[in-house]
Amino acid sequence: MKVKVNEEKCSGCHLCEMVCSLFHLGKLNIEKSAIRVESDDLNSSLNTPVVCRQCRKMKCIEKEEVDEATEKNSFLWDKGRVKACPFKALFAFEDTAYHCDLCGGDPQCTKVCTPGAITVVS
Amino acid sequence: MVLDRKIAFIDLSKRSVRIEKIPVELRRKFLGGRGLNMYLLSRYYTRELEPFSPENPLIFGAGLLSGTLGFGSRLNISSKSPESGHIGDTNMGGEFAAELVKAGFSHLVITGRSERPVYLLIKDGAVKIRAALHLRGADTVETQKRIRSELGDEKTRVACIGLAGENLVRFSAVRTGMKNAAGRTGMGAVMGSKGLKAVAVRGTMDITVSDPQKYLSYYHTILKQMLETKWAQALGKHGTPLLFHLCNAMGFLSVRNNQVTTVGERGSGLEAEALERYSTGMLSCFGCPVHCRQRYAITEGKYKGTRGEGPEYGSIGSLGPKLGNLDPEDIIYACELCNYYGLDTMSMGSYLAWAMELYQRGAIGPVLTGIPLDWGNGASIIEMIHRIAQRKGFGHILAEGRLAYKVFGEASLDYLMEIKHFPIEMTDERLPKSFALGMATASRGACHMRSRASIDVLGLPEQVLEKLYGGPVSNRFSSYEGKGRMVWWHEVLNAVCDSLGFCRFLSVFSSPRGLGYEQFAEFVALATGMSLTPEELKSVGERVCSLERSMLVKDGISRRDDTLPRRYFEEPVPEGPCKGELIARDQFDTMLDEYYHLHGWDEHGMPEPRTLKQLGIDT
Repeated sequence: MKVKVNEEKCSGCHLCEMVCSLFHLGKLNIEKSAIRVESDDLNSSLNTPVVCRQCRKMKCIEKEEVDEATEKNSFLWDKGRVKACPFKALFAFEDTAYHCDLCGGDPQCTKVCTPGAITVVS
Repeated sequence: MVLDRKIAFIDLSKRSVRIEKIPVELRRKFLGGRGLNMYLLSRYYTRELEPFSPENPLIFGAGLLSGTLGFGSRLNISSKSPESGHIGDTNMGGEFAAELVKAGFSHLVITGRSERPVYLLIKDGAVKIRAALHLRGADTVETQKRIRSELGDEKTRVACIGLAGENLVRFSAVRTGMKNAAGRTGMGAVMGSKGLKAVAVRGTMDITVSDPQKYLSYYHTILKQMLETKWAQALGKHGTPLLFHLCNAMGFLSVRNNQVTTVGERGSGLEAEALERYSTGMLSCFGCPVHCRQRYAITEGKYKGTRGEGPEYGSIGSLGPKLGNLDPEDIIYACELCNYYGLDTMSMGSYLAWAMELYQRGAIGPVLTGIPLDWGNGASIIEMIHRIAQRKGFGHILAEGRLAYKVFGEASLDYLMEIKHFPIEMTDERLPKSFALGMATASRGACHMRSRASIDVLGLPEQVLEKLYGGPVSNRFSSYEGKGRMVWWHEVLNAVCDSLGFCRFLSVFSSPRGLGYEQFAEFVALATGMSLTPEELKSVGERVCSLERSMLVKDGISRRDDTLPRRYFEEPVPEGPCKGELIARDQFDTMLDEYYHLHGWDEHGMPEPRTLKQLGIDT
């Protein structure tokens, strides 16, 4: 399972980021979300949601001696892994990176995406 | 915590900043946004307060629920208006309000005047005043880009003025993003008078909630309910241009300064479906699931390469048929120019329409205007926008708004479609009587959004309307019956909506299934922990309306000012589907009596002492 992005459809509402932090941390803070909307708001007005692609071979942790399954299901990651993601799809704020754990199998972000820019695919 | 957000009092003369907590009692009485803005404004408001004086406060207020999970994240900017001379207040979407609250602030009260241009930088609990000399003359998009660039932070949100605000054009807007405008009542000119070019905000603070699961679950329930309404679906697909067809087909459009009220089939090029060929997608304000804003691009013709956001229905009407202009590309380009200069598209259209009718009647001529002001002349419309923003030639005269009558002569005011010294927008209200009353009573002068009572256009059974409004209301759009009740009801609801920072489009606005007090109360409780009953929330709306009225009373405004242009009472609509419609003075007065009574105001439109006491308003 992963969250698939169709950037053409993104309206830039940030609801995905809001529910991500609310679901995982019990607070609203789009800086502490595993999905980010990159916005070109003063030029093309295009918005691009970026989120973990759930790679089979997890390059982000390949140099670490950790259990992949455990890491896949964890939301709070070490900031140092940000640089290891080849897709620049892992984001950090202050000392913590926020990784998409698919909300334990029921991604919250896709439920609030009314334009259908992010959807769940198996 | 939402209730921890602060107010910053900023004095630009002394370059001082004082940060204060907001007492919960004040939140319970006024919530935030427009409500708290009005409370703050009332502390400064006198008849003598000059709009361009350093003492006039410019107040930015994020809604209580801005930045939370809800329906939009809006902000009001309020002051004494240099355009109307009384209450100035305007509401803006986009991302600025959410960023302000993430930085820990709910409200900014800006007084004084800086000799050199400055901008405010607000970041995670701190306020700094920074030099803006290098931004002088920059357009509104360039200003935002340059501030982001010098701060090295692309996530900074900026609300700013363009050349129009710097030049004190009385109907200048404050802008953020590509299109979001705090457009009405000249707040950009107040900003210019203070030497304040921009307010830049960046916030990364948490908003904690007590029961996140319950909050999320409630949001999903309401989201589903909202998205099932035809109104939300249509709005999300077409945006506000969908209203153009209805307005034109029924005949309540302002055409050539309200001389006519429809353009019939000639207006088909301005309908939502026709404008889709310019659309490149839909956009949302922060936290809104509806995405009603278009982005567009013009790929060929004389405006090839123009791209941006919009235009909204209000701007289409104001810079289109109101000026006899039916060319969509002229309209789009004119809107874009207004956006870049920081001009209010609606007042721009209104004053230009006034000048065009005077030109048509020979009351002013080409010697004064410098260019031909014949109806529908796209090139002249574009040129006048440049000249007004730059205060060149005839533009210098029209930049004064209604005060241009000092040049045109007092008799010219008969052709300015205005209420309380503030111009009517893109519509003509001789057909819809609820709209007519709402325009006449709106606290910021002519304004279709203060009440925007329009559910009677849906033709719903009268039992449904009676249940909603708590009394009989006719389901005929052109009837006067119960429309005083309807306007009162929507004014109160909208005041609450503006104080919460929710978008009015998703409240009971064009659909009776929209959000109302019960949902508002639940959202307030879940996001803030503050418990207010639906009745208490309604009282907030009453309080805001009566407080605004009390300020207008200080300006000497009373029943005689709650009226409509002479044309509405004396000239029947000359052609089209509502030919013959006009406003009957006696029935208008009956509506007004009903409206005053429900607000608890006397027959002169003054809030009764017992109303003020009951609402806890200290004037």
